[in-house]
Amino acid sequence: MGLDRRGFVKFVVGGVAGTLFTPVIWKGLDDAAIWSQNWGWIPRVPKGEVKATPALSKLCPSGCAVKVKTVGGLPFAAIGNADNPMSKGGVCPICAGGAQLLYSPARVKSPMKKVGEGKFEAIKWEDAEAMLVEKLTSFKGQDGKIAAISGDETGTANEVVSALLSGLGNASGFCVMPGEMYTATKGVKLMGGNGQPGFDIAGADLVLMIGADALDSWGPSVANQKAFAASHPTGAAATAQFIYAGPVLNNTSSVCDKFLAVPPTATAAFSLALANALINAGAVCSASDFGDYKALAAKYTPEAFEKATGLKAEALKDLVARIKAAKAPLVIAGASFGQGAGALDFVAGASLNVLLGRVGQSGGMTLLPAAPKALAAATDRAEAKDAGSFLAQVATGKASPAVLLVYEANPAFALPQADAMAKALGNIAFKVSFSTYMDETATLADLILPAPHPYERFDDAMNPYGVAKPTYLAGKPAMAKPVMDVKDPVDVLLAAGSKLGLSLGFETYADVIKAKAQAVGADFDTLASGGAWTGEGKGGGLSLGAAALAKAPVAKADDKAVALAPVTKLACGTADLATPPANLLTIRDTELKGKDLFVQMNAATAKKLGVTDGNKVKLTGGSGEVRARVHVNEGVAADTVAMLLGFGHSAWDQYTKGKGDNVYKILTVSDEAGTGLKVWAGSTVTVAKI
Amino acid sequence: MSGHAVKEFKVTWGMVIDLDKCTGCGACMTACQVENNIAPMADASNKMRTLSWMLVFELSNKKAAPDAEIAYLPRPCMQCGNPACVPVCPVVATDKNEEGGIVSQIYPRCIGCRYCMAACPYHARYFNWEDPIFPKGMEKALSPNTSARPRGVVEKCNFCHTRFMKAKDKARQEGGNPEALADGAYMPACAEVCPTGAITFGDLKNPEHKVHELAKGENAFRLLEKLGLHPQVYYVSKREWVRKLGDNYAATGHAGAEKKHS
Repeated sequence: MGLDRRGFVKFVVGGVAGTLFTPVIWKGLDDAAIWSQNWGWIPRVPKGEVKATPALSKLCPSGCAVKVKTVGGLPFAAIGNADNPMSKGGVCPICAGGAQLLYSPARVKSPMKKVGEGKFEAIKWEDAEAMLVEKLTSFKGQDGKIAAISGDETGTANEVVSALLSGLGNASGFCVMPGEMYTATKGVKLMGGNGQPGFDIAGADLVLMIGADALDSWGPSVANQKAFAASHPTGAAATAQFIYAGPVLNNTSSVCDKFLAVPPTATAAFSLALANALINAGAVCSASDFGDYKALAAKYTPEAFEKATGLKAEALKDLVARIKAAKAPLVIAGASFGQGAGALDFVAGASLNVLLGRVGQSGGMTLLPAAPKALAAATDRAEAKDAGSFLAQVATGKASPAVLLVYEANPAFALPQADAMAKALGNIAFKVSFSTYMDETATLADLILPAPHPYERFDDAMNPYGVAKPTYLAGKPAMAKPVMDVKDPVDVLLAAGSKLGLSLGFETYADVIKAKAQAVGADFDTLASGGAWTGEGKGGGLSLGAAALAKAPVAKADDKAVALAPVTKLACGTADLATPPANLLTIRDTELKGKDLFVQMNAATAKKLGVTDGNKVKLTGGSGEVRARVHVNEGVAADTVAMLLGFGHSAWDQYTKGKGDNVYKILTVSDEAGTGLKVWAGSTVTVAKI
Repeated sequence: MSGHAVKEFKVTWGMVIDLDKCTGCGACMTACQVENNIAPMADASNKMRTLSWMLVFELSNKKAAPDAEIAYLPRPCMQCGNPACVPVCPVVATDKNEEGGIVSQIYPRCIGCRYCMAACPYHARYFNWEDPIFPKGMEKALSPNTSARPRGVVEKCNFCHTRFMKAKDKARQEGGNPEALADGAYMPACAEVCPTGAITFGDLKNPEHKVHELAKGENAFRLLEKLGLHPQVYYVSKREWVRKLGDNYAATGHAGAEKKHS
């Protein structure tokens, strides 16, 4: 009895048929599929109770009121806070990825001291604080020897820093990074007023944004977007018009009812030509300098408008008709990238609100009185020096500080003529960087004191630039303990002050914020629970600023140069934050490809410059140059090239280091006639093919 | 054209995206990445390798300055009523068989053949070329809602399906009807964070949900409607050039017209 061929075939066929009826093979395949995807290096999702905690997320310049979603106490996401009027449930792209930034590879994990060129050593907090106190003690009372640069526009931390400097005999050493709040407040002064200007976008039925990228990177952008959304209900007629006049068809202008491509060098000319056209159409106002203003504006004829902007005069006529038909028009003037515009650019735009009788009106421009201080010795916010001017003085030896405290700022990267600024920092013997991330300035510092992420700290925001009413937000930590060995910079400075014999009246930043809330008339607990305090914006008898505007410089034509329009997109980062890991996907491959940044220009400009799509070019301006590839984009104004800010980092992490080039390097700083302010919004560059 | 019939459900989750309100800020993309545990890539400019379950396209009217206009178009998975991806999957790793009409994607079953990617006309599906590598520590910020996928599988938007399940659980706990959730009770991450409210989400068949009427508006349209895939994502724009682009006007000659497929 053997196994014959027929028997063998029967056995095999029977075996195969049999296995089909058993679950073993199917279960085995299913398990194999599951386990072949279940490797140890695939991260597992966390488990635990999911909660949402209100927080103030100051990752973006104006700060977002968010709810931090935590699982097992650890943050994993942020959503808008529907109960907060600044958020109404919305959140900006940076704050939406805030939880991931807690673990950014660029985070400073512990205090560090410099031990060689580009080399740092982790040290204990006691030693770090002792080093700080020792240096401050050495120069206490010597005016001009201690300075500070703050990159926080809204926090009461500025009061502590400036009060400490004052106590150390260096009251004039407090500097701030560029922002529109300072130039606009100075502009208001030139118009005979006082206070920070505010803009009631929600109440206007026509919003003309001259430069101001109000629906993406300018002012309280989420609140602005909510106001826009409310006036543009889906499936129904819009109740307000939004018009953007600026150099680039950007995120804001993509949804506007009208876009007017205005080169960055022609902002004031655009405003004054509009004033002239409005006056010719019958606009009058009771301001005492109306006669002078009218005579000044008369120079900005439709022909001059065409020459300055490259637009047709019909566009101006259409704009006048829209404004005249509106019941509550509002004009917002600002630099398209949130800095570098002069006070006169602001005055030219803001004067339109005066001309139209829109100051202090619902849906108009308001003035916010100075907020009460928590520390009496603090410098007034509007009186701070600008960091660029300060470092320019350091570069030339006119200022010679020995100790520089850098609070939440990155002056080595985000000041115009960045390379020169970084070099100037080298002239300061001892630099302390209070930073959450290892940025360019931290890499130049002698002592790095890690600051907490917004979810790990107490912080506040007083009157973010652009709000129509006095507004105060405050937040407390959204997690039990920080993920790194950090201390709040304000706590460190208060402790240092105490050791130096300077009692500022508080031991912690939390106490300072509580005192600020009390001074403002707000309830801290309500604010920390996600609420907001608002007061009332005021009007004020503003002039048209004719005397100041008479000094406005006339842009000089230069055939070889084109205007440079730096572009800020919030998702790409800010002046003190490189593109967060969770935002990398939002960068288009026509903006950054590999390590190449793109320079955008319209076809006519490209033809004039002799370049075509994809060409590699060198842009030269200020004291530097950057390299880029050309992308032809019809959304850029005539004779203008546009480039995204926020790239070309030499520090940070693998996601941002060495990607693109830093446009701050080619911004040209000049003195504004009549005000002496440093301006760079009208920078020009030359473009050469390489 | 899939050649299959449209699957009908009592509840049909869908979106109406107002392109006249989308500023292209990218908050939806970021929220999507966070919710769905998509690892950051060192070179995110390589769009052949990135995973963008929600992708905001830039549309242009192709006119020269100063008449140039742009619009932004957020593109999640369309959750088609008659999906092209489902019948081509050899292992039934993707299906449309659950009340709500969301097209599923079962990662352990996916063999990475990518037929579904080839079939999807919306490019809504992505192949995992790499394992999900998060920088050290960032795995502590993973969302509890979505498992991380290994390399070799296809993935896509699922309208944040875990949120759907949680909303149904909540309704059950509160004595409500999980098959008739209130407007807003279930919301994907992108719609939740959008600062201009450009994305409206709800049950297209429920008259109490906003999307029910919005999807019928005169300016509402769906992408490539002529293909007959019946997407559950609608778009709205008052701008004719946008509607024409969305409808692939060049191919049909009639923007917004009723489409029939052969």
